[in-house]
Amino acid sequence: MKRKVIILCIIAIGTLLFAIAIGGVNVAPMEIIRIILNRTLGIGNVDDISAANSAIIWNLRLPRALLAFVVGGMLSVSGAIMQSTLRNPLASPFTMGVSSGASLGAALVIFSGIAFLPMLTLPTAGFVMGMATMVVAMFLASRIDGMMENNTIVLMGMVISLFINALTMLLMALQREFMQQIIIWQMGSVAMRDWPPIAILAPVLALGLFIALRYHREMDIMTFGEDTAKTLGVNLKRVKWTLLLTAALLSGSAISFVGIIGFVELIAPHIVRRIFGARHSLVIPLSAMMGGTIMVLADLVARTIMRPEELPIGIITALIGAPFFAYIYFAKRKETA
Amino acid sequence: MLKLIDVCAGYNGIDVVKSLSLEVQKGESLAIVGPNGCGKSTLLKAICGLLSFRGTVEIDGQSTAAMKPRQLAAKVAMLGQISPVYFSYSVYDVVMMGRYLHMGGLLGAPSRMDKDFVEKCLTTVKLWDERDKSINALSGGQLQRVFLARTLAQDPQVILLDEPTNHLDLKFQLELIDYLKNWAKEQSRSVIGVLHDINLAMRLSDNIMLMKAGEIAAMGKIGDVVSVAALEEVYEMDVASAMRETFALWKDLR
Repeated sequence: MKRKVIILCIIAIGTLLFAIAIGGVNVAPMEIIRIILNRTLGIGNVDDISAANSAIIWNLRLPRALLAFVVGGMLSVSGAIMQSTLRNPLASPFTMGVSSGASLGAALVIFSGIAFLPMLTLPTAGFVMGMATMVVAMFLASRIDGMMENNTIVLMGMVISLFINALTMLLMALQREFMQQIIIWQMGSVAMRDWPPIAILAPVLALGLFIALRYHREMDIMTFGEDTAKTLGVNLKRVKWTLLLTAALLSGSAISFVGIIGFVELIAPHIVRRIFGARHSLVIPLSAMMGGTIMVLADLVARTIMRPEELPIGIITALIGAPFFAYIYFAKRKETA
Repeated sequence: MLKLIDVCAGYNGIDVVKSLSLEVQKGESLAIVGPNGCGKSTLLKAICGLLSFRGTVEIDGQSTAAMKPRQLAAKVAMLGQISPVYFSYSVYDVVMMGRYLHMGGLLGAPSRMDKDFVEKCLTTVKLWDERDKSINALSGGQLQRVFLARTLAQDPQVILLDEPTNHLDLKFQLELIDYLKNWAKEQSRSVIGVLHDINLAMRLSDNIMLMKAGEIAAMGKIGDVVSVAALEEVYEMDVASAMRETFALWKDLR
C-alpha cells in the first residue's frame, strides 16, 4: 500500500512537471525545478536561463498547472465526500445543485454588469449561489423528511438543480447578447489566472481536507448504511450537514473560479477506491492527488491538442471522462457479479 | 435493565406497535415471535433509536430519548440480517467500527483498549486469523460473524437481534444463538431476539413474547406461554400440527 501511495505521488509530481514543460516553448524539467527553487527559496543561479523562459514558467505555466491541480483536488474531494455521505456513486456537486447555482450566479453577474469586488465579483457570486442552492436543497430535504435520508437529499438536489438550470436558460433566452459570455464561463478554463486564485483556493482545499479527514471514520461507517451508522453511534444529521457543506464549500469555490468542469469528481475517487480500498483516511487525500493529476493532464490536452487553438477543459474531461467512467464502473460490476 | 412503558411506534402516522410495555432484566434474554407485520422489527427500531416513538424506553433507569447517538450506541446494539457489502474494508476495520462510540480526540484514533477489545471480539468469533481479509471475500456465515464481532465491540448493555440467522447454515444459527444467550448470562447483559424460527426462539431464551397486531398476545416462561392454542391464535394456523408433521419426517431418518 505504501508503495502504491509513493507511486501516485511520483506520478502527480511528474505530471505537473511534464505539463509545465510542454507548450509553445518546451522547457526542460530540470530548468523548471531550478526556476521554482530560485523564485521560492532563492536557491541557485538562473542566469543561464532566458528571462522569457523564466517568465513563462513562473507567471504562466506554473500558476496554471497548480490552479488545475488545486481545482481538480477540490472537485475530487468534494465528489468523494458526497458519494460516501450520500452512499451514491453518482453523487457530485453537479447532481447536488452546486454547479447550477454557481452558473446562475455567474449569469446574473454577467447579465447585470454588477461589479462589487474588483476581479472577484464573478467568483463570489458563483460561490454564494452555489452554496445557497445546495443549502436550500438540503433544507427542503430536511423539511420533507426529518431523518434526512440519502435518497431524499439526492432527489431534492436534482430537482433544484434542474429548476435553477432552467432559470439560467431563461436568462440567456431573454438576453441573447450575453449568451456567449455565459456559455464560455460554463465551459470552464484554468487559463490566464496568475497566482491570486491559487492563494485563495489552496487554503480552502487545505481546510476541506482537514474537515473531511476529521470525519474519515464516520464516512467509513456510513458506507454500511444509515441505520448501521446510527446504531454505531454516528450523529448522522450533524455529520451529514458538516460533510455536505464542506463538499459544497470545496466545489463551490473551485467552480466559481474556473467554471464548470465535470467528471473529475466522479472518476478520481472511483479510481482511488479501486486501487487503494475504501478507507477514507486514504480515499480523501489520495482523491485530491488523483483529481489534481487528472485535471493537469486534461488541461495539458486542452491547450496542446489543437494548438494554437485552446479547447475548453470541461469538454476534455467529459469527452475522456464519460466513457472512462462507464468502463471502470461496469467493469467493477462484472467482477462482483 | 431495559424497560418499555406504553411505547407506540409506526410509519406515516399509523401505529404498528401499540402501547407496548415490557421489562428485560440484566442477564436475561427475551425471544419475540409473531407473524409478519405484527410489529416485531418496528419495536426493535424504536428501542435503538432508528424510529421515533411515543412512550418511554429506559435503560438502567435512563430514558433513551434524552441520549446522544453515542450514549445510546453504548447502551444498545443491533445485529440484523446480513446486508450486501459494496465496499472493501478489512475484517479488522469493520470490527473497529464498533469501537467508534468509545473513541475520542480530534481524529478519533483507536486507543490500546480499543485494539485489545477488537482482538478479543475477533478471537471470540474465531476470525482473528482472517483479520486482514477483505469482507468482500467472506462467506455469508463469516460475514455475519464479523458483524457479531462489531456488535460485541460496542460493548453494549442490550443487544437486539432482528432475524440475524437468515442466510446462515444450521451450525452457525445454533452457535450464534447459544453464544448470545451465554453472553447475556455471563456478562449480566440483555438480549432481545426477533426470530421467525420458533425453535431458535425457544433456544435463545426461557422467556418468550408472542406478538400480534402490535400488541403482546402473551409473555412469560416458555412453558406458560407457548401452547397449541396460543400459537394458533397468534399465527392463525395450527403451528403445532405443522411442526409435528415435520418431526415425523425426521423420526424415520436413518
